[in-house]
Amino acid sequence: MKSTKLYTPPVFRIISMNIAKWGNPLGLKKSDCTSWADGLQLPTKGKTILYTGCEYQMTSYIKSLVGVLKRVKFRDTLFSAFSGIQSTVGKIGVDLMKGYTKVASSESETYNRLLRMAALTLKRLGIDFAYLDGELYSGALLYEYGLFDELEEQAKRVVSQFKEAGVTKIIALTPHSAEVFQQVYPKFISNFDFEVVPYISSVAEALNKLGIELSLPEPLTLTFHDPCHLARSLKVTEAPREVIQAITNLDLREVALNRELTSCCGAPCETIFPEFSELVAAKRAEELSATGAKVAATLCPFCHANLNKGVDLTGNKLRIVDLGEIVYQALEVSDARA
Amino acid sequence: MPEPKQIFEEYYDKLLDKAHDANISLGLSRSVTAYRERKAQVMEKFPHTVELAKEIRRLKEDCVERLGELVQKATATLEENGAQVHYAETGDDALKLIGEIVGSGKVLVSGKTLTGEEIELRQYTEGLGNEFWETDCAQLIQQLRNEKPMHYVYPSLHVTREQVAEVLTNLLGREIPPDIPTEIRTIREFLRGKYFEADFGVSGCNVLAADTGTIFLLESEGNIRMSTTVPPVHIALVGIEKIVPTFHDAFRVAEVVWRYAGFNIPLYVSMISGPSGTTDIECTLVRGSSGPVELHVIFLDNGRSTLSKDPILKEALYCIKCGACLFECPVFELAAGYYGGHGYFGGLGAILTAYMSGGFEEATPIAYTCLRCGRCTEVCPQSIDLSRLIPEVRHRIVEMARS
Repeated sequence: MKSTKLYTPPVFRIISMNIAKWGNPLGLKKSDCTSWADGLQLPTKGKTILYTGCEYQMTSYIKSLVGVLKRVKFRDTLFSAFSGIQSTVGKIGVDLMKGYTKVASSESETYNRLLRMAALTLKRLGIDFAYLDGELYSGALLYEYGLFDELEEQAKRVVSQFKEAGVTKIIALTPHSAEVFQQVYPKFISNFDFEVVPYISSVAEALNKLGIELSLPEPLTLTFHDPCHLARSLKVTEAPREVIQAITNLDLREVALNRELTSCCGAPCETIFPEFSELVAAKRAEELSATGAKVAATLCPFCHANLNKGVDLTGNKLRIVDLGEIVYQALEVSDARA
Repeated sequence: MPEPKQIFEEYYDKLLDKAHDANISLGLSRSVTAYRERKAQVMEKFPHTVELAKEIRRLKEDCVERLGELVQKATATLEENGAQVHYAETGDDALKLIGEIVGSGKVLVSGKTLTGEEIELRQYTEGLGNEFWETDCAQLIQQLRNEKPMHYVYPSLHVTREQVAEVLTNLLGREIPPDIPTEIRTIREFLRGKYFEADFGVSGCNVLAADTGTIFLLESEGNIRMSTTVPPVHIALVGIEKIVPTFHDAFRVAEVVWRYAGFNIPLYVSMISGPSGTTDIECTLVRGSSGPVELHVIFLDNGRSTLSKDPILKEALYCIKCGACLFECPVFELAAGYYGGHGYFGGLGAILTAYMSGGFEEATPIAYTCLRCGRCTEVCPQSIDLSRLIPEVRHRIVEMARS
């Protein structure tokens, strides 16, 4: 084989540096990652944790980062200065930073809301859990990029954080973190013996056990976008549908490509090929919209964010929601009735 | 050769550009819809194919472990059958060998060969001063449009009937309407004379049985049968991963290939084991009868042995090139074979491109385009786990980018 030095996009360096330095890909502050838990009085140590992976928290920032990536394309010079929110203020042109932080603050509340709902749902269903103050990112992106050495380092840090908090069971809120824990960590870490459960599986199991009859304030027709990693890697296709069926006035209209044949939202390539990623999203948004449903639910923050971009691009009126949000609303209705 | 960064950027510009091409979108959406419908009918009619595919996966796992032994066995059998067998370590070696066989000033007709695309055989033989005609309708369209192929089984699936009418009108200097049956009849009339003019017929190989030396060729147009029967010399270019131990194995592989490509049965299944011959006079064998007088088989390694020794990425060699994955790939659905190298497409194509054509420079942006969504694995007869292979090939890329 030829020994030419290959090229990889500069965004890899930024993201891996941020993970090593700040514990998450975008260099978010600890408070940005955990402010969702404020006032919920959750313990920070315990056998079972709700693991967020900072992913919902990152989503709004990724959107603005991608905006910047689109403008600078693969230009190294701009990128080399671009190393996380905390370290870059003052180093980059004011224009870039304005975009990067302003959009972030306006949107982070949306995603914090989803996180609070997810946590309150578990509480309501009688599941005891802690969260990690200063939770570290799983490193899923490092695996995506092929940065295995960096992933191994991060995995060690994550595992020692789990051990310090006395964790044995991880309720993984996002499909990416569930996948990386369940299927990738064991290849890099010996004796990775934590139980990993996707969030929606925990919810479906608890709802089933408690037998609560749920309904929404208004009847709703929605379609469901199976996140790829949830449906295929983790093989979780029925839990979301069981949850949907438990809500009496919620009507599910299946999209043609569903379950293990679900079609990607395009998010995986957005940090490398952002414009193309949007075209993939637009195609999926059209497929979801073709069901006639006005609302599409999903269970992954990256699907959520990217499908929204797809909706914007196609100009259709589809509203993208997190299924967790729907469940939370239904539980509220049922509590109000009781 | 351009710098890796430039290759990366140019690839992306093209990918994005083609994803916005309205003709490509139209051609693709027509093709994807038609394929999915037909494939569903085919699998309903022959449901045993799913189990058969699992057997073939196990067979290929075994074959990839003993490529060298299978090449030896196939070589011995083919020589016994009267064929001339050559071994090419690299694509350049294969081109040189073929160049020596054909010389210049000749006419070649070719059935579809992915291996030929891999080493850019048409371009090379034309460069030597030969006339080279693709005889597969889709590949002829591709040749006339001066494009790379877009798919293993349907190389021009991104081209609309209107665009086909345009290239045929240009070729023949008379108006050809955008009507599919008329277009196909026009191609038939154009090609028919070429087979009889040709000095050489070129083919690839879908699968080769080592114990009988039999080359299996699957098609529906009859062009491969004509190309490998009418000209006096047949040259078959065979990737060494196509060899399986027995005739029975080869037949099973062939059946899986055509089903997953969307066919109940390809209208022609040719099985060629040597040059033509006869024992009709005094039971004495004479080589060279009505069919070709010579058969040259060129076994091509070109990175396959190296790939077969990679403990993880060797899974890419289990691919039987049915192209089912591409019809379910969200990237392919937007950009066709521009998501790929010059001969291999999609995420798996990144691995094949890295080792067999174009190298890691060309493969890097392809590997990073894969969404790792895993839908391809669901429809792959070999269940190739691309979601696992892609991070591995990316890992090799980042290591090579660091050094």
